[in-house]
Amino acid sequence: MISLSHVSKVFEGKRKATALEDVSLEIAKGQVVSIVGPSGSGKSTLLNLIGGLDRPTSGEIRIEGENLAELSDDDLTRVRRDKIGFVFQFFNLLPTLNCLENVALPLHLRKWPRKKIEARAKELLNLVQLDHRLEHLPDELSGGERQRVAIARALSVYPPILLADEPTGNLDTHTGQEILKLIEDLHSRLGSTILIVTHDLEVANRCFRTVSLRDGRIVEDRRR
Amino acid sequence: MMLLRLLSWPYLRRHVLRWTLTLAGIVLGVAVFVAMHTANRSIFSAFDKTIDQIAGSAQLQVSAGEFGFDESILERVQAVPEVGVAVPVIEANVETKIPGQGSILLLGIDMTGDRSLRDYELKDADDAIIDDPLVFLAQPDSVMVTKEFAERNKLEVNSRVPLLTIDGEKQFTVRGIMSSAGMTQAFGGNLAVMDIYAAQQVLGRGRRFDRIDIRAKEGITVDQCKAAVKAALGESFEVETPSARGRHFEGLLRSYSTAMTISSLFALIVGMFIIYNSFAIAVTQRRSEIGILRALGATRGQIQRLFFLESITAGFVGSALGAFAGVGMASVITTYMSTVLEQTTGFAQRVTELAIDPKLIVAGIAIGVITSIFAASIPARSAARVDPVQALQKGKYQVLSAGENRRRRRMALTVSLISVACLFLSYSKLFFYAGYVLMIVAGLLLAPALTLLLSKCLRPILKQLLPAEGTLAADSLVQAPRRTSATVSALMLSLAMVVGFGGFAHSFYTSVGEWMDNALNPDFFVSPSANLVVRAITFPASIRSVIEHVAGVDQVQLVRNARVSFRNVPVMVLAIETEKVSGTVHRMPVAGTTEEMNRLTGQGKGMMVSDSFAQIHTVRMGDIVELPTPSGLLKLPIVGIVRDYSDLQGSLLIDRSVYTKWWNDDTANVARVYVKKGEDVGVVRQRVIDALAGHHGLLVLTNREVRDWIMKLIDQWFALTYNQIAVAILVAVLGIVNTLTVSITDRRRELGVMQAVGGLRNQIRRTIWIEAFSIGVIGLVLGTALGAINLYYSLGMVKRDLGGLDLDYIFPLAFVAFMIPTILAASFIAAIGPAESAVRGSLVEALEYE
Ligand SMILES: Nc1ncnc2c1ncn2[C@@H]1O[C@H](COP(=O)(O)OP(=O)(O)OP(=O)(O)O)[C@@H](O)[C@H]1O
Ligand SMILES: [Mg+2]
Repeated sequence: MISLSHVSKVFEGKRKATALEDVSLEIAKGQVVSIVGPSGSGKSTLLNLIGGLDRPTSGEIRIEGENLAELSDDDLTRVRRDKIGFVFQFFNLLPTLNCLENVALPLHLRKWPRKKIEARAKELLNLVQLDHRLEHLPDELSGGERQRVAIARALSVYPPILLADEPTGNLDTHTGQEILKLIEDLHSRLGSTILIVTHDLEVANRCFRTVSLRDGRIVEDRRR
Repeated sequence: MMLLRLLSWPYLRRHVLRWTLTLAGIVLGVAVFVAMHTANRSIFSAFDKTIDQIAGSAQLQVSAGEFGFDESILERVQAVPEVGVAVPVIEANVETKIPGQGSILLLGIDMTGDRSLRDYELKDADDAIIDDPLVFLAQPDSVMVTKEFAERNKLEVNSRVPLLTIDGEKQFTVRGIMSSAGMTQAFGGNLAVMDIYAAQQVLGRGRRFDRIDIRAKEGITVDQCKAAVKAALGESFEVETPSARGRHFEGLLRSYSTAMTISSLFALIVGMFIIYNSFAIAVTQRRSEIGILRALGATRGQIQRLFFLESITAGFVGSALGAFAGVGMASVITTYMSTVLEQTTGFAQRVTELAIDPKLIVAGIAIGVITSIFAASIPARSAARVDPVQALQKGKYQVLSAGENRRRRRMALTVSLISVACLFLSYSKLFFYAGYVLMIVAGLLLAPALTLLLSKCLRPILKQLLPAEGTLAADSLVQAPRRTSATVSALMLSLAMVVGFGGFAHSFYTSVGEWMDNALNPDFFVSPSANLVVRAITFPASIRSVIEHVAGVDQVQLVRNARVSFRNVPVMVLAIETEKVSGTVHRMPVAGTTEEMNRLTGQGKGMMVSDSFAQIHTVRMGDIVELPTPSGLLKLPIVGIVRDYSDLQGSLLIDRSVYTKWWNDDTANVARVYVKKGEDVGVVRQRVIDALAGHHGLLVLTNREVRDWIMKLIDQWFALTYNQIAVAILVAVLGIVNTLTVSITDRRRELGVMQAVGGLRNQIRRTIWIEAFSIGVIGLVLGTALGAINLYYSLGMVKRDLGGLDLDYIFPLAFVAFMIPTILAASFIAAIGPAESAVRGSLVEALEYE
């Protein structure tokens, strides 16, 4: 499903920073993997590379066998939109669009027919238990609700892969738990491959597999 | 100052492009202002200089408009005891047939007496001429040219110079080359001197002079001499110092310079909006910075001063560059303007040096700086009012507070009510212009609210068309009304100006077209020159019978026209054969009845005037117009007001019989020829050409040729203003670039999210393009609306202060239809750069962007 071989990422600039160094990783279909490590260890960088938001300095990343390095920017976007859903720590909802519109955005970008879009968006908001907040703007929601909208948006196309960068980092413990339960729930329904970056060991422990990073290298890869 | 270096400089460095665009607004405005005024002054001063230099040591000049006067007047002047020297002069611009030289100022003088007034300093000449001027006289093809002209065209003594005369192109022989400094500089050196009696011949003047140059007798003051000559000649002659004569021309060109000033002011106003926009954006972008400053203890005054200092700096840099560019542009514009003036008024001038006035440059810079400060004052005030607590919170910034909106709307309503009230008092100039300004102010006050409203209306439409991109683009507009509305306002203002001007031009063309259909309907025109405003050459009335005897010719109408001084301004007098003309021309009267006015004018009991004349000189039906003639003061009542575009300064129509009697002259400069029904116009024209061949070098112009020529003149007259409008639109488009650049910076994260959830680059581009298009559309809607109002005031302004033309209100639909694709295309072009920079750059950074 996802395969990284000898991936390095170096940020050139005034101060050269090596964010990832020689990372190789295989993730099979349907696995739920947590990525842990201290701040600055390269977790977000790893996720961004897998999600095709950025390109590695060296090494190879394959998503379902397709080599991301060989794709043009637009093709990369196509892979991302067909296969990958993103959940961010700071939600990244568009403030001017209401919940329904936010969830529908990726579908519109894929030029789905209107009817289908509305049905799907409602279905997903229903799934995250926000069917009573369709017309609300992100400003009018709580943090947990916003993250639920973000998850609904990420899953709107039923992506085979879900990438979540500290989805609970900005929420209190209780709400964090709920979000996590939601993700697990969705996993069991849709069977997606899920990568969660987290600081929370409890979260990590609930996952099937935990990858630990330090200074840009994998120091531990533990399966339960 | 410290703050300025610490805060403004880094900000400036980060937004070089935007500040360049902002400065471009001021640079253009000031440049146009300085260039126009420099060109104007250069032309005026060239006029004055030429008059002065040609005057030699003459202290007074006697003239009677362009019609000139009988030779006998000279004796009467010479008989005045206070007069020391009095010599006759004929002065005319004639076309040289030397390629690239255009016209030359031909001075006809009396060699025997003239040298006591003017020193020609013959450098190179037949010895015989220097010793005995009578030799010069003996050969009627003799001319003297200036050293400059000779050098420029590689002429020597005995070289031939071709000039256009009544007999067509004729070769003259250079008998002498003048090197006197004064003469050489007059008319840019394009000066030829000829014996006055030869000049009468070649210009078809009969036994008439244009002017008499006088020097007072020793011991007599100029004033005493002037009084004595005036007493001897009566009040119908002008007796003036040479410099006073120059001032008349300024009067003639006034409406042109006023029009120029107004359009350069428009460029400045649009520039002001761009500055306002940039500062408003700067204030919102730097809100958190301002918040921090305030939290650290900066006072409101300090913040406000910071922005004022920035605006002064920007204004100063922009204006200085503008003044510099203006001086650079001035020479091109001067050349252009003098050509236009020569073509439309017949007054040629050669400008050899620019009259650069340091005061004007200072004024230009001051205007630029003041404009800039003024434009920045509102953003500076809102910067000072930034609440530190709110500013440090992220999220909703930029949103116009409901209170502010309501206040604006209430103000707009009040202002427009006052403006409408002014309409009822608009007979007063003050109220008219106050109403105009207030109406524009009301438009500007309403613009943000209307922009918001229209953006909201556009949202569902765009959503329907392109759900993702359209919605986001519309939201971007709605979200940042300040950012959007300043650009929309600038665009609206430029368009209002374009529509106002285009409407004026359209009405004018329509009106002139009607006039040409009605009044300019002869089949062809016989004239000495293809340029009908050149009146230097006239032909005798005997030409009439030559043409009339051509088979197929139905009727010949002779016209003699020239400028005559009325209330110290040269106005165009047309002497027409009223009875004949009334049979072929059916004018729509503005006042009076056609039949009555034709009858009275034909009987010599009155005159018709153009509506523009009536408006400029505030005269009405029945008022008596006094015209100076060689036989005394001609007093005729106005018996009709008609539309007539023979001259942009207005025209007077008198009967030819009145002209022959009072001016004692029966020459003509145009013959209007009608062909008999059923005859082939082309064939008859050829017959006329053949018949005239033996007589004079007269041209036979077809109706089409004359119409095209008039249209070309009007095009030229408008061209410069068109360019200024292009500048205004350009400035407005720069505003769109500015806004979009900021918009994508503000929305970097949003655009990043869009890409992260699967937006292709083209979809991102489309969002930016739609935003640009929407700004264009909203600007078009508001601009057209304000333009419709502006047109009303523009026509009023033209009627009151620019040539007095009373034009019908015709909304320029075709013009607006042309503006729609133009503006949309311009918006699209403005969006290309920002759209590209939106899809480039790191996605990861964009997502983290705060
Ligand atoms: N755009 C960038 N330019 C330069 N260096 C960068 C950039 N982005 C990340 N880095 C560096 O790469 C390293 C890894 O960063 P990354 O954001 O992946 O860490 P992280 O594990 O997600 O940390 P955190 O838990 O704090 O989110 C860090 O040392 C960081 O300084
Ligand atoms: Mg991180």
